Amino acid sequence: MSNSKFTRRGLLGSAAAAGGVVAVYGPWKHNRVHAQASDRPIRIGITSDASGQYANSGASDRRGMLMAIAEANAEGGVLGRKIEHVHIDTETIPATGSRVAERLINREECGFLIGAVSSGVANAISQVAQRYGVIYLNTNSSSPTESGENCHRVKFVWDGNGANFSKAAIRNSLDAYGGNVMMVTNDYVWGHDTARATKALVEQYGGTIMDEILVPQGTRDFSAALLKLQQAGPNVVAAAVGGDDQIALRQQVAQLGMGDKMAWINNQQDWPDVYGLPADNLFGVFGTTWYHGLDLPGVQDFVARYQAMYPDTSMKVPGNVFYNGYMATRELLAAIERAGTTNNIAVIKELEGHVMSAESRMQHHDAMIDPNTHQVQQTIYLATANPEPRDSDDMYRILTQSAPEDVRDEASLGACQLESYDDTPTFDA
Amino acid sequence: MPMITLSDIPARGGSPFTPAMGVFLLALSTAPFWLPAVGLYQYLGIEVAIWLIFALGFNLLFGYIGLHSFGHGAYLGIGAYAFGLFQQEIAVSLWGGLLAAISAATIAGGIVAAFISHRRGIYYALMTIAFGQIFWFCAIKLHGVTGGEDGLLGIPRPDFVLGPIRFSLADNTSLYWFSAVLLALVAIGLWRLVNAPFGRVLQAIRQNETRARFVGYDVWRIKWLTFTLSAAFAGLAGGLFSMAQESAYPDVMSLHQSGLIVMMILVGGGLVSFWGPVLGVILYFVARDVIGGITETWLLWFGLMFVIMVMSRPEGIAGLIHVARTRLGHAPAGRSAPKPTEV
Amino acid sequence: MFELVPHIINGLTLGLLFALIALGFTLIVGVMEVINLAHGAMFALGAYFAMTTIGGGWFGGTEFGQWWLTLPIGTRYAIGVIVGPLMAAGAGMILELCLRPTYGKAPLYGLLLTFGAALVIEEIIRLSWGTGEQSLPVPQAINGAFFMGGLIFSKYKFFAAGFAIIAIFGVWAFLEKTPYGAIIKAGAHDSEMVRALGYDLSKLRLLVFGFGAALAGLAGTVMAPIWGLRPHIGIDVIIPAFLIIVVGGVGSFWGAVIAAVLVGLSVGITGAYAPAWSMLSMYLLLIAIVGFRARGLLGRKSALEN
Repeated sequence: MSNSKFTRRGLLGSAAAAGGVVAVYGPWKHNRVHAQASDRPIRIGITSDASGQYANSGASDRRGMLMAIAEANAEGGVLGRKIEHVHIDTETIPATGSRVAERLINREECGFLIGAVSSGVANAISQVAQRYGVIYLNTNSSSPTESGENCHRVKFVWDGNGANFSKAAIRNSLDAYGGNVMMVTNDYVWGHDTARATKALVEQYGGTIMDEILVPQGTRDFSAALLKLQQAGPNVVAAAVGGDDQIALRQQVAQLGMGDKMAWINNQQDWPDVYGLPADNLFGVFGTTWYHGLDLPGVQDFVARYQAMYPDTSMKVPGNVFYNGYMATRELLAAIERAGTTNNIAVIKELEGHVMSAESRMQHHDAMIDPNTHQVQQTIYLATANPEPRDSDDMYRILTQSAPEDVRDEASLGACQLESYDDTPTFDA
Repeated sequence: MPMITLSDIPARGGSPFTPAMGVFLLALSTAPFWLPAVGLYQYLGIEVAIWLIFALGFNLLFGYIGLHSFGHGAYLGIGAYAFGLFQQEIAVSLWGGLLAAISAATIAGGIVAAFISHRRGIYYALMTIAFGQIFWFCAIKLHGVTGGEDGLLGIPRPDFVLGPIRFSLADNTSLYWFSAVLLALVAIGLWRLVNAPFGRVLQAIRQNETRARFVGYDVWRIKWLTFTLSAAFAGLAGGLFSMAQESAYPDVMSLHQSGLIVMMILVGGGLVSFWGPVLGVILYFVARDVIGGITETWLLWFGLMFVIMVMSRPEGIAGLIHVARTRLGHAPAGRSAPKPTEV
Repeated sequence: MFELVPHIINGLTLGLLFALIALGFTLIVGVMEVINLAHGAMFALGAYFAMTTIGGGWFGGTEFGQWWLTLPIGTRYAIGVIVGPLMAAGAGMILELCLRPTYGKAPLYGLLLTFGAALVIEEIIRLSWGTGEQSLPVPQAINGAFFMGGLIFSKYKFFAAGFAIIAIFGVWAFLEKTPYGAIIKAGAHDSEMVRALGYDLSKLRLLVFGFGAALAGLAGTVMAPIWGLRPHIGIDVIIPAFLIIVVGGVGSFWGAVIAAVLVGLSVGITGAYAPAWSMLSMYLLLIAIVGFRARGLLGRKSALEN
């Protein structure tokens, strides 16, 4: 017994001594100044969801980033450095997002983080990223709060948001169909934010809101809501329902044949959510930032590159989620190249206010990264189901396109307060 | 070999400073120095410490008294929201926030326990699920209070203030130390508790509730107390969790997450050892981090591992270690074991 | 009051569909005293297999595959409705083999094993069918809508509800009117007796599990056109199933059916007033009923209570 006691005490003692030594040299503060060797790769952490409600969109998002990274590497990398990437599943859960961000920054030594579909996850990641000063690209979460009250100096938002899409959709629809509007709103923050923007616009353009039907996230049976809609008989239904819920809603509306009984506006339609669904599920009018059928130079080449890189993917053509993932990554790499350094503040300054030409983005208007909200101001398209598709992938007919200044989200401009440069930790990735 | 249970491993009263506790405290106090070296990182240490507080408290209910709650994530979530709301609405204070977190979870747990403490078995489990779902649902619905689906954001990490001592918990290392000290206190306290007569009563109730009642124990009150106590620990863990994340989210309250903590405890061997939850939580978090970094289908592998474990060694890792030690002759099996056999 | 009528109709159909979901679940709990948390996964498997059958995904571009697709959708749908549940039954039997080491131990172990199995099956679905949303095509005859009292109702939903009624009575007749049913019910009450009568208990368990899984797969096949099809759909299923057997009373067939209709009605009617809170009404119903009746509506004593 005494022997074991001695051993234990000895062990404790030597551990304490070892602890003392490490305490002096040890990792009290993570050493963020890495070697400056130009052959060291630039590491990008991919934080897209691979499971949970947005797993499907997350996969598309990630393919976009990977294509941009592959193309940059094929041209010799950025600043002569190769680009490496690490992906960890954020599970569409904010708490996991926090942890994944911590791991990518500390353990994987990623200098940049990219990827989000869920606004909850995007916000969780950006809080961590801001604490370390790591640039984070929110590729596909379209909650207005992301570039409003939850904006951060290190975060850049690449998708159009609920307010942008509402602006594009509401006036056109009220003019065409009449002013009595019912709302179907997903009962969480994105839904509410979008609904608020919609309400304000409906009133501004002289319509009336008859009622708002809140549907919980995870709703699979919409018949109660649909019955209410039938009983009320509005001209226009403004739906802010996302992800799997929206798919279930579309299926049930199509089965009831309610798709053409009233004018449905679905704020935003993500391509992975509708790809492969029957045409009658795709009723109503909805917003998007990009479509592979746009008649613009470069689009066909882009689609061909996608098909060459992902020949086995079930989604045969790229959609808006892929597009945002790709564009965000490409522009980040370009900004690093322009800055001539991976210093985070220098790259942030390169991104802020940067104007991207319409040709380079394959849209109808030039886009600009707003220096005050960090949201990309871009062309917003309104689309509907294509009655005369060329092939099974040709699902949309583009109805209108709005210039960025016409659909600007004014509210977030007032709500967003970016941290100062001084309050943002600086480092070289 | 028949399955061993917590009662087969003799408990010792008296000093909590067993070899296992020594190893645990040593690992806890040196973690920041070796975590990076083994490929992990500080934040993971914080999360593990927090979930250990949760799991150890939960095992009082799950392992010792044998009441299977599948809705315990709710109390973790309530603690997290209470901490955050205290910071945002009342005052930025560490102790105030933690007190609020513990109180809120205790009150919620106490109310639920009053509804379910006369139940047993599957109906007990089902009622815990129902109440857990109600709390989870409310957390999502009450936007004005909880921030709904997006969570309560921007929760500060208040400074540690104790008399003249004051230091910031803003960086992960200092928050780790704070959580680790609390965890050590919780572990020692719980160890004393389960090895005191109270712990024996809990096990008596698990083995035969009716018999315990006949012997004269107020079974209802003890069940109520155990549930409430474990909710209080969950609340403490929740308060710390909201500090770690600087936000509070409803996801931890979901059935899925409440099922995962049960899974961790079982894999670790919470049914056969005080230290089971510790092993289970560490294995889960490290496996998730390491396998999750390699493959997107990590849940497939973890699920398979879990299924095989339940099929072959339902006593979990702690049971496995116990068996290995018995075979190697370090500790004879059975009640007459002269030496401590905690792992 | 009149405005409520469609909501009540809607709640009733929903309740019948819930009953269909809960049937296999209650059967397995009643006979085997195993809480099969993989029930939702079986539901999903059945639906995915049915979809692949209807879409001809098994045969790819082979000649048989080409011929298969020329068959009318009604025929393929009917075959899918049979194949989906059969495949789910196979998966259920494999699961039962895995469960064997847990027999005789606390019910907790069966529950945990099936929880793990549910995770594994969900991942396997994700690997084999992809993470994306899929749809299960239905024949034109039962698709679309019809009018009643000035309101539109979905044909398919009524078809599914009718299907659920047939399935409920089919299972009931099987359990009550056939010798197999008698043995299964005997096994539920007294496994010693079954063994003494010379029946092989392990084979009985295998068949019951397969049958329960087939019912889950059938529910999945019928529900998929309404709810859509995605790898984690099982999660959406398991909670109502769970609730229903508790409200109805563990192991009670009619208890489960009545509870399912009650749950459907409560969701449907709250949906008329407060759609955002309609799902919560399920849990309140549970607490109200189980608070007064410890074993649910028609429950009897079960080993699971210990």
